[in-house]
Amino acid sequence: MSERLVVVGGGMAAVRLVEVLGARGYDGAVTVLADEDHAPYNRILLSAVLEGTHGPDALTLRSEQWFADRGVGLRLGARVLEVDREAGEVMLVDGERIGWDRLVLATGSIPTLPPVRGLVRLDGSLHPKVHAFRSLADCRRLDDAVTPGQRAVVVGGGLLGLQVARALTVRGVATEVVEGAPHLLASQLGPAGGRVLARDLRRLGTEVYTGARAVRMTDAGLRLDTGYELSADLVVLTAGGRPSTALARRAGLMVRRGVVVDGSLRSVTDDRVHAIGDCAEHRNRTTGFVPPAWEQAGVLAGVLTGEDAAYDGSRSVARLRATGLDVAVLGDPEHAVGEVVEMTNPIAGSHRTLVVHGGRIVAAALVGDLSRVGLITQLYDRGTVLGPDEPGQLLLGEPAEAPVRLPDDAEVCACAGVSAGAVRACSSFASCREDTRATTGCGGCESVVRRLLGEDLAVPVG
Amino acid sequence: MTDTHCPYCSLQCGMRLTGRRAPEVGEWPEFPVNRGALCRKGWSAAGLYGGRERLTTPLVRDRATGELSPVTWDEALDLVAGRLAALRAERGPDSVAVFGGGGLTNEKAYQLGKLARVALGTSQIDYNGRWCMSSAASAGTRAFGIDRGLPFPLADVEQADVVVLVGSNLAETMPPAARHLDALRARGGKVVVVDPRRTPTANRADVVVQPVPGSDLALALGVLHLLVAGGKVDEEYVAARTTGWDEVRESVAGWWPERVERVTGVPADEVRSLADLLGGAATVMVLTARGAEQHSTGSDTVLAWINVALALGMPGTPGAGYGCLTGQGNGQGGREHGQKADQLPGYRMIDDPAARAHVAGVWGVDPDSLPGKGRSAYELLDALGQPDGPSALLVLGSNIVVSAPRATHVRQRLESLDLLVVADMVLSETAALADVVLPVTQWAEETGTMTNLEGRVILRQRAITPPAGVRSDLDVIAGLASRLGSPVEFATDPETVFEELGRASAGGKADYAGITYDRIRAEHGVFWPCPGPEHPGTPRMFLDSFAHPDGRARFHVVDHRGPAEVPCDDYPVHLTTGRVLAQYQSGAQTRRVRDLPDTGPFVELHPMLAGRIGATDGEPVTVATRRGTMTAPARVVATIRPDTVFVPFHWVGANRLTNDALDPASRMPEFKVCAAAVSA
Repeated sequence: MSERLVVVGGGMAAVRLVEVLGARGYDGAVTVLADEDHAPYNRILLSAVLEGTHGPDALTLRSEQWFADRGVGLRLGARVLEVDREAGEVMLVDGERIGWDRLVLATGSIPTLPPVRGLVRLDGSLHPKVHAFRSLADCRRLDDAVTPGQRAVVVGGGLLGLQVARALTVRGVATEVVEGAPHLLASQLGPAGGRVLARDLRRLGTEVYTGARAVRMTDAGLRLDTGYELSADLVVLTAGGRPSTALARRAGLMVRRGVVVDGSLRSVTDDRVHAIGDCAEHRNRTTGFVPPAWEQAGVLAGVLTGEDAAYDGSRSVARLRATGLDVAVLGDPEHAVGEVVEMTNPIAGSHRTLVVHGGRIVAAALVGDLSRVGLITQLYDRGTVLGPDEPGQLLLGEPAEAPVRLPDDAEVCACAGVSAGAVRACSSFASCREDTRATTGCGGCESVVRRLLGEDLAVPVG
Repeated sequence: MTDTHCPYCSLQCGMRLTGRRAPEVGEWPEFPVNRGALCRKGWSAAGLYGGRERLTTPLVRDRATGELSPVTWDEALDLVAGRLAALRAERGPDSVAVFGGGGLTNEKAYQLGKLARVALGTSQIDYNGRWCMSSAASAGTRAFGIDRGLPFPLADVEQADVVVLVGSNLAETMPPAARHLDALRARGGKVVVVDPRRTPTANRADVVVQPVPGSDLALALGVLHLLVAGGKVDEEYVAARTTGWDEVRESVAGWWPERVERVTGVPADEVRSLADLLGGAATVMVLTARGAEQHSTGSDTVLAWINVALALGMPGTPGAGYGCLTGQGNGQGGREHGQKADQLPGYRMIDDPAARAHVAGVWGVDPDSLPGKGRSAYELLDALGQPDGPSALLVLGSNIVVSAPRATHVRQRLESLDLLVVADMVLSETAALADVVLPVTQWAEETGTMTNLEGRVILRQRAITPPAGVRSDLDVIAGLASRLGSPVEFATDPETVFEELGRASAGGKADYAGITYDRIRAEHGVFWPCPGPEHPGTPRMFLDSFAHPDGRARFHVVDHRGPAEVPCDDYPVHLTTGRVLAQYQSGAQTRRVRDLPDTGPFVELHPMLAGRIGATDGEPVTVATRRGTMTAPARVVATIRPDTVFVPFHWVGANRLTNDALDPASRMPEFKVCAAAVSA
């Protein structure tokens, strides 16, 4: 009998694992237990759905049919209650038991509830004004609740919080952000970057309260520890998440912050059990981003198909996806070791930091000006060794070119190989065309030739 | 006065020649593709005949001394035929290989395929078109059921609202074509250029996107993602005219703009702007060229862009759609008539029994006598002189030593042959290695048809008398065929050959049956398919249906894989290659034209990279890859990505560096990207 592989979780790591296993010809029987009711979707675009730039259908990563076509058992709404390592089974909430030879935990993370009184009512449900923002169901519930003209408070000034705040603002909701740390994106940016970002947000109509904690839901809204009370029709909690490890912990697997795995993404406790994505802890690190989860899924697929694959950590690039807010954070600029090359332009509202070690960009934070983000990301990902002037050049814009008089030896017409001097020597456009064949090829130089000959009446001769 | 066409690129500009011995080039304003415009290569084309380097007698090498000595045609052809026949008897027919070119006329390409299959009986024939547009050909066949570079006349470009050029620098490679872009912009249309270099073509575009070499596919996925997200997909068209959309739609859900940014180096906002532009336009035309195609992921890259065009509902819509800007003069016709390892005339597949029966019938041979599928171009060269590979090679219309990837290795393979025969008009770098060199006519000295990038069959007419001592390729082929004891005749008159080609192609995808020299003259060319004399030809394809049996176009799920070789500590930059305006392909012709500047190769790099390595504009820099090195003057320009260097491939050197990783579908080598080190 072929190996029974059960994947707990139906998120982005799980889907990628199934895709790569398929591509590598894995011959075991795969079952995916997804606790949500929706076919696997691209979770990181939820705020784009809320903002309205993406239709919800555009998020579906793989349909139920896709799994069926590949003989992969996809169970939606299948919540796992227990992992029984001794029996090699998982038990669902309805008591059904599913056997496995190999188990992959891809349970993701769960939102942290901030300690705010009145968030949760006596029956355990959230206060009706309060919304989490982790799943498509959360997104739909909030989407349904949004009406232009409302007031909202977003609790949490991290990437997700800022994306949700921007989305709500774009939807016509007067939105405020509350962040307990002294500045926004505190885990990614230093104070200067955070300040630029806060100013950008305010310019876009979103008020920001940093160094302030929400302490209590009131009838009117949300009270902060600074004494402010923010009136709110909606309160959205985006104050981070933590790896979902309850199952692993109960199953006796080693768990610190996440399920502890080795380079083969194997639990250090049980080599039949693997963990990938947000729930996994590798070399004392958990991530919270899709690219590392996908890299882990790719490595695990290699491991499961007998390849000599190992996970060696990931380079992370965090990008804020919100209209009008430009932020990219490469690596960990607040903690990375290296020399810091920094450029702040408060007038234009940009703050950019490169951390360079041994000539390589090891971390970077770009706020308000992403014109070189593509190149900087490439250099970071490739570990390119730069010259001493390059970090500075990367942070400067392209110099504006001053218009110059074309020297006589400058080639004006590449098609015919005609210089400015040769054109100037002609008496008219017509004779120039006849004698030099300038303008007779691609035709792109016609305006320059006319200008040089003073026959361009529309534009003064330069 | 003779109306004919330029000897170089696939635009095949119409031109008028006067003068019997030394032709003079003049305008032919009525020809619709270029309307009289020519670039300096066209204007100076007659310079081909000015040089003293012209070969006028067959040459045979003495392997002991290495010297080439003149012999008579009979001696040369007897020698070649005798050696080939002996090899065939000793080692079997596949010990002899044939290598053609995308610059050969349709008649020559057809006869060369027939020579291989009938007179030599070898399956080992392919051509340098494999290194041109084969990825687009493969993708077009899979998506539309047929491969015609442009399924519409080039002038239709002017009617589109947005034209996207992916990896095309047409303002330099086929300058007169750029006039159509200017006409489009004058109408208010927009031009988008996708290229790691800001080329002269990009300078006349409205939107320029500069992705990392080898990431055009990911850019297309990102654009499609945003079209889906924004509800810009033409669902009605997709439902009525395509299959395979649902899986493709899901496959791009994971390609949000910031991920595309990380892979391509194109800022996410630029990806969004591009998608907004395409999603908001009534008609969009996507055109790919070598920049997108010459990759180990080339055919998937083209499919990804075709997916974009299909999702927008464009192919088969007037003034819109997808097309490939073929490169070589007869890049289109050259791939249709049997010099490709897997094809018979009429774009028929050699493993299709019905195709074999039809073509064998026209040739008058037993279908079972035709060989099967052979090796693709690079694989063929790689096998030369190997225990299971051919030990003789006949080359027509190709300068392999300069144009093949991993050229040092390919040169060694050529040197390991028992017999190398090259037909050329000059002693090209490849001819210089040959055991037998056959001097042949060229361009204005001979008549023949070409099929331009639009699928328009045009006629190059003889305008001047060739020098004494040279023969046409058709004569060479017929002379060898009869000496090899071919069971059937090989005609040498081009028009007669064309009539036979018409019969052989009849009923095939590229059906030329209704095309005649007289019709071509009268109609400014005829677009295939043209199955009969009454048929008007087909300027625009797909208006009612696509060429798959169900009449629908097919979406294909493709994913980004990236180049075969990525930068590392030892080879930290990307190398890409391409062309310059004043030269053409391996330069065997243009480097010998006095009016064209022969600058020699150069290395284009960004000021930041120049600063890093201490390079100065004009001073030599060395580029090294895992396969070779070359040294050439630096050209320091801010128009190239700082992580990329560019080297033109018209001279020996560039292809010593390039990677021979092949596209799994098209067998296209990865000319356009590899990892390199640059030092001053």
